[in-house]
Amino acid sequence: MAVIEAIGVSKDYLERGQVTTRALRGVSLTVEGGEFMAIAGPSGSGKTTLLNVIGALDTVTSGSIRVEGREIGGLSQRELSDLRRDRLGFVFQAYNLVPVLTAAENAEYVMELQGRPAAVRRRRVAELFEAMGMRQLLDTRPLKMSGGQQQRVAVARAIASEPALIVADEPTANLDQATGRSLVELMRLLNRQRGTTFVLSSHDPMVLEQVDRVVRLVDGTVQSDERRATPVA
Amino acid sequence: MSTILKIAWRSIWRNWRRTLISMSAVGVGLFLVVVYSGVLAGVLGDAKDQLDNVGMGHVEITAAGWRVRRGVSQSISSPDALLARLHLPPGSETGWRVVTRGLVSSARGSEGVELQGVAWTRERGLSTYVREVRIGQHPSADDDRGILIGERLADRLKVKVGSKVRVMAQRADGEIGAELYRVRGIFHSLSPAISRHRVMVGETSARRLLGIGDVAHQIVIQLDRAGDADGVAARLRSELGGGYEVLSYGDLLPALRNIERLADLFVWVAALFIYGLVGLGILNTLLMSVLERTREFGVLRAVGTRPGRVVAQVLGESFWIATLSGALGLAAGLALTWYGAQHAILTIGGGEALEYGGAILRSGVKTRFSLTQALRATSLVYVMALVTALYPAWKVARLPPARALHSS
Repeated sequence: MAVIEAIGVSKDYLERGQVTTRALRGVSLTVEGGEFMAIAGPSGSGKTTLLNVIGALDTVTSGSIRVEGREIGGLSQRELSDLRRDRLGFVFQAYNLVPVLTAAENAEYVMELQGRPAAVRRRRVAELFEAMGMRQLLDTRPLKMSGGQQQRVAVARAIASEPALIVADEPTANLDQATGRSLVELMRLLNRQRGTTFVLSSHDPMVLEQVDRVVRLVDGTVQSDERRATPVA
Repeated sequence: MSTILKIAWRSIWRNWRRTLISMSAVGVGLFLVVVYSGVLAGVLGDAKDQLDNVGMGHVEITAAGWRVRRGVSQSISSPDALLARLHLPPGSETGWRVVTRGLVSSARGSEGVELQGVAWTRERGLSTYVREVRIGQHPSADDDRGILIGERLADRLKVKVGSKVRVMAQRADGEIGAELYRVRGIFHSLSPAISRHRVMVGETSARRLLGIGDVAHQIVIQLDRAGDADGVAARLRSELGGGYEVLSYGDLLPALRNIERLADLFVWVAALFIYGLVGLGILNTLLMSVLERTREFGVLRAVGTRPGRVVAQVLGESFWIATLSGALGLAAGLALTWYGAQHAILTIGGGEALEYGGAILRSGVKTRFSLTQALRATSLVYVMALVTALYPAWKVARLPPARALHSS
């Protein structure tokens, strides 16, 4: 089943006092469950905009987005929040952990929004951190962690609530090569072990080498869609 | 502790200097409101308490027109029977007085006075200076020849306890009556006028002097709560109907009522001003704090936080600032108000007391400690804090997550 269907999506930005900028021009894209794919392209090609609209963080100017078959165009802010909470996970370029929460509290946050009991949340996060080799970071605040550690915690936060899709916007851009590789390997492992669907945006060749599918954007349009392997079942 | 309050608590300490400055402003504001209202309540409360220092009731009943002419015949018949049929609040002290103008003479001089004939036992509940006679004691109930006089009058007449004085007054039949009395006690009043111009004898003796029967000129009621006076007076007016004049202390002392109104106005204006500043302080702090963290709120929205929860989190920060600063301001305000209730912390004018429009204000002002008033002031800080936090909360909650995430 398709996790995401983008059909003829266009997105215009109208900044005050400036001309309209068309970031996406009729993009159509289907993401199947279990895929580990990347959206590639140069800066300004529309990668982040595409991730924002398929992640229900932004609205489209025209076209439609369906998440697990559900059209999200007419949803209220509250419904969109619930959709992101329950079905989507996010990893950002700048880590974006809540600095006043510990690593464990950050990872638990979405589950807390879902109303899961504290004991369940703690057990799940402890298991996840153990599996990701980060047990020692459980009670550490983000500012005391390295960039790589913060990004791994961000991945833990995204995956802890077991979403259908994780959207990662340039997740390795702020990391050195070795740390970035290790992070992508971690996401790859989670994709294989748990069947979690990942859509990454990147122009880093190291990242693009490891994904099963690369959709290239140029000037807001899909230039190519290269599939290297079938999605994890 | 809920996650909302936990994040809010930790967030306010990110910029602890800014938070402390904001809390200081709120705390000092609340402190000022608590102390200011305590001082004014003290001044006004003291003025009301001093009513029995001038022998004035919270409510007084006279025959209609008596206050204008003060005629001996303008009296109330059987005052005890009248009092018995009135419905008064529990805890009220009541009494009646025979009142006339007269002349008191000693071997050394004469003075014009107001003569009051009283039932001593009842009068003790109505007049401080009868309860606390400074030299000697008030005459006993069966003492027809005893008189109580003010210390200034005693000084002018050069009399002391045991001295003889003659009192003359116009009788009901138009003749001049005269009686000889022996000074049994000398009282002190905060009012110089009363100390110099008032003498008191037993009611039977006063009636004999004036040639009147079982009548009184003034019925005096001291209520348990002075604040009820206007309501009680209005009710008694309708109970008694025409022929009587029923006045509250506010009617008798318009100056005191005006001071009360002015004080209320001052408290409101001061509170409005202070709470306005408090609100602006909190608004500034939260707005800066929230705008600095727009990206963070974008992340919270992105991972599924509903807009309402974002609002709750900003309100949570405001709640903590109000709680901490409110606790500090309240504690400091209550401490000073409590101290001021034990020891006079302000002095107005010189001497023992000031007399203003018939009201007596002690020179040394004591505050009035009121936990209820202080808690009310604190709850207004909460209201102000939460209301002013709504704007920054709404501002950040309505931002689309994508735009919030990309704010610098």
